[in-house]
Amino acid sequence: MKVVYKVLASLVAAEVAVQAMMVVLGDAGLFKYVEQGGVIDKATAESGGIQFPEFFAFVVHGVNGMMVIPVIALLLLISSFFAKIPGAVKGAALVVLLVVVQVSLGLLGHQIPALGALHGLNALLLFSAAVHAARRGRGAANAEVSDPDRPGARVETVV
Amino acid sequence: MDRTRRRGTRLRLALAGAATIALLGPLAWLWQASLMPGAYSVMDMGYADYGGALTHVAGTSEHAEHSQHSQHSGHSAGHSAGHSAGHSAGHTGHGTPARSLTSLTADPDREADVAITLVARKQRFRLPTGRSVDGYTLNGTSPGPVIHATIGQLVQVRLVNESVPDGVTLHWHGVDVPGAADGVAGVTQDAVRVGGSFTYRFVAGQAGTFWYHSHQVSHEQVRRGLLGALVVAPARPPAGAVDVVALMHLYDGARTINGREGDVRTEARPGERVRVRVINTENGQTPVWVGGAPFRLAAVDGTDLHEPAPVRDTAVLVTAGGRADIEVTMPGDGSPVRVHVGGPTGVVLGSRSYDAPAVPRPAIALDLLSYGTPAPLGLDADRPDRRFDYEIGRRPGFLDGRPGVWWTINGHMFPDVPMFMVAEGDVVRVRIVNDSGEPHPMHLHGHHAVVLSRDGVRATGSPWWVDSLEVGAGETYEIAFVADNPGIWMDHCHNLPHATEGLVAHLMYEGVSTPFTVGGTAANEPE
Ligand code: HEM
Ligand SMILES: [Cu+2]
Repeated sequence: MKVVYKVLASLVAAEVAVQAMMVVLGDAGLFKYVEQGGVIDKATAESGGIQFPEFFAFVVHGVNGMMVIPVIALLLLISSFFAKIPGAVKGAALVVLLVVVQVSLGLLGHQIPALGALHGLNALLLFSAAVHAARRGRGAANAEVSDPDRPGARVETVV
Repeated sequence: MDRTRRRGTRLRLALAGAATIALLGPLAWLWQASLMPGAYSVMDMGYADYGGALTHVAGTSEHAEHSQHSQHSGHSAGHSAGHSAGHSAGHTGHGTPARSLTSLTADPDREADVAITLVARKQRFRLPTGRSVDGYTLNGTSPGPVIHATIGQLVQVRLVNESVPDGVTLHWHGVDVPGAADGVAGVTQDAVRVGGSFTYRFVAGQAGTFWYHSHQVSHEQVRRGLLGALVVAPARPPAGAVDVVALMHLYDGARTINGREGDVRTEARPGERVRVRVINTENGQTPVWVGGAPFRLAAVDGTDLHEPAPVRDTAVLVTAGGRADIEVTMPGDGSPVRVHVGGPTGVVLGSRSYDAPAVPRPAIALDLLSYGTPAPLGLDADRPDRRFDYEIGRRPGFLDGRPGVWWTINGHMFPDVPMFMVAEGDVVRVRIVNDSGEPHPMHLHGHHAVVLSRDGVRATGSPWWVDSLEVGAGETYEIAFVADNPGIWMDHCHNLPHATEGLVAHLMYEGVSTPFTVGGTAANEPE
């Protein structure tokens, strides 16, 4: 379970990186399209057709943000119950909380653009929290390997 | 020592298991509860909302009991959709024997004035500019043929499905057709399977600009071309005026007018009056503006505005599904006029020259709340028989088992949404509130509603009758209409993917029932 915890936490961090890449990729594609004379209005934005090749990146950002990342965060929380790592539950709970905040800010940003700034900031907090959790997992996993004679040793200190 | 350790481990595991169940249990329950049955009647969907008119109807004790039942069970009724046949009695049974909406037709003995057959095909086709599109056609083209009728005529359209695998229907967007001819799969008919046909009959009761489109898997079929224009001319069309349809649709992201990328040219001589009928068949609002001459917004959603004044340097925002008739008088010096539709391209009107430069979109948008001059509404909106709220929100949850952040209506997620109950003749007032963070083009079938106010500011211009109303994020609209067309009518978002995400409710007349079901053997899927 320690490995699972570690992998899931790293996955959240990686997903945040993917999110940042996707949204800037989409943005760059959009601006290039406009530079070349393309026109975007609500009708084009909602048409579902592809006006510029990077449009897919926005779709990935939305699906990742609203479905994939919340599911990974939830699995991380569940794995934390079973992972014998000090502070695992707290670390995972923080990740879940920051994901909830992140998704809310992402959606509310459509109406109140200023919240988009907080969306960017909170992404960094989420990334840090996920990396921190993953490192916690790594430390524990190392301890397990380096001390094969006393596999239960850390359990005593956990509870 | 060993034993305490093992006990500790076991306790720990038990705790972890309990925490997991505490977390996943409610989620699993919510997931399970959100699953839709294989077939369900929209009559059983959600809970009845009588708009505060409990005493207005029949007043039998049976009624009171029923309505109480449906209101109390409102929170749990959603996932019982289709399970309880008896439940529908709560919506329809008020002493009046239910009549099937299949009986709500145009006079069957009357001969058709306009008769046309439309053959639907799934095929690869070419736009005039050469772009190849994998989509759907009607009589071999997309958009389908423009249907022309004159007010009062009986229009009869036979729809034949040659090769659309999911089945098709035709909905007459903006036309207040009889209940049986509304073309909504699973509500007013079964989707027409390959090899089948269905005949629509209705009287064109109002002169104006309308359109038709499939209402089976509509988010996909409309996008890929199952649509066309319908123009109803007045009894005495203005002599010597030019009349042009500008149906806007995007094929694979390419903006077209009447299926053509780039400009559409129409001949109009100096001094001539031109009516450009802009139809927005897309999922989002689009701006229309005019370069080279002032213009008047003559009609919205098929209804003429009252004394619309000429404007210039102003954009008209056309709601998704909505129509705007732009009227231009050609300049005397023979210079061409460009009617921009959503971008640099559009309809170019001219005679000697069509060299009309593109002009940028004006910063100002026409506010229909104060455009034109007032006229009698023909209804008393201050003393409505029913008052409904249609509050749009958004929250995370499951929609038929899919996790996501879905739309809500009055705090309820599909299918646990209100069924707006009316009786024939009621004056109905609806407050539409959008707290969902995104705009929604709301479309009520079978009726036209008049806008009373926006964000508490009363309408002071021409009566503004709509069938498709853009409700922006954070906005509140009050509208009113007369319930004068019995049936069961969709009241949904015309950003069609939003409808698949749960932004669908219905308006239901007391005493009307439908034999059709969503899902089932006909695989009806209206959204
Ligand atoms: C550095 C990282 C991130 C950046 C720079 C970023 C930026 C943005 C931007 C510019 C938007 C508005 C554009 C759009 O709606 O497509 C947006 C929307 C959104 N973001 Fe992010 N984001 C980041 C990370 C995340 C993460 C980690 C999540 C989820 C956990 C997330 C969830 C969302 C959601 C749900 C939306 C709304 C999408 C929609 O309405 O379709 N974002 N983000
Ligand atoms: Cu919508």
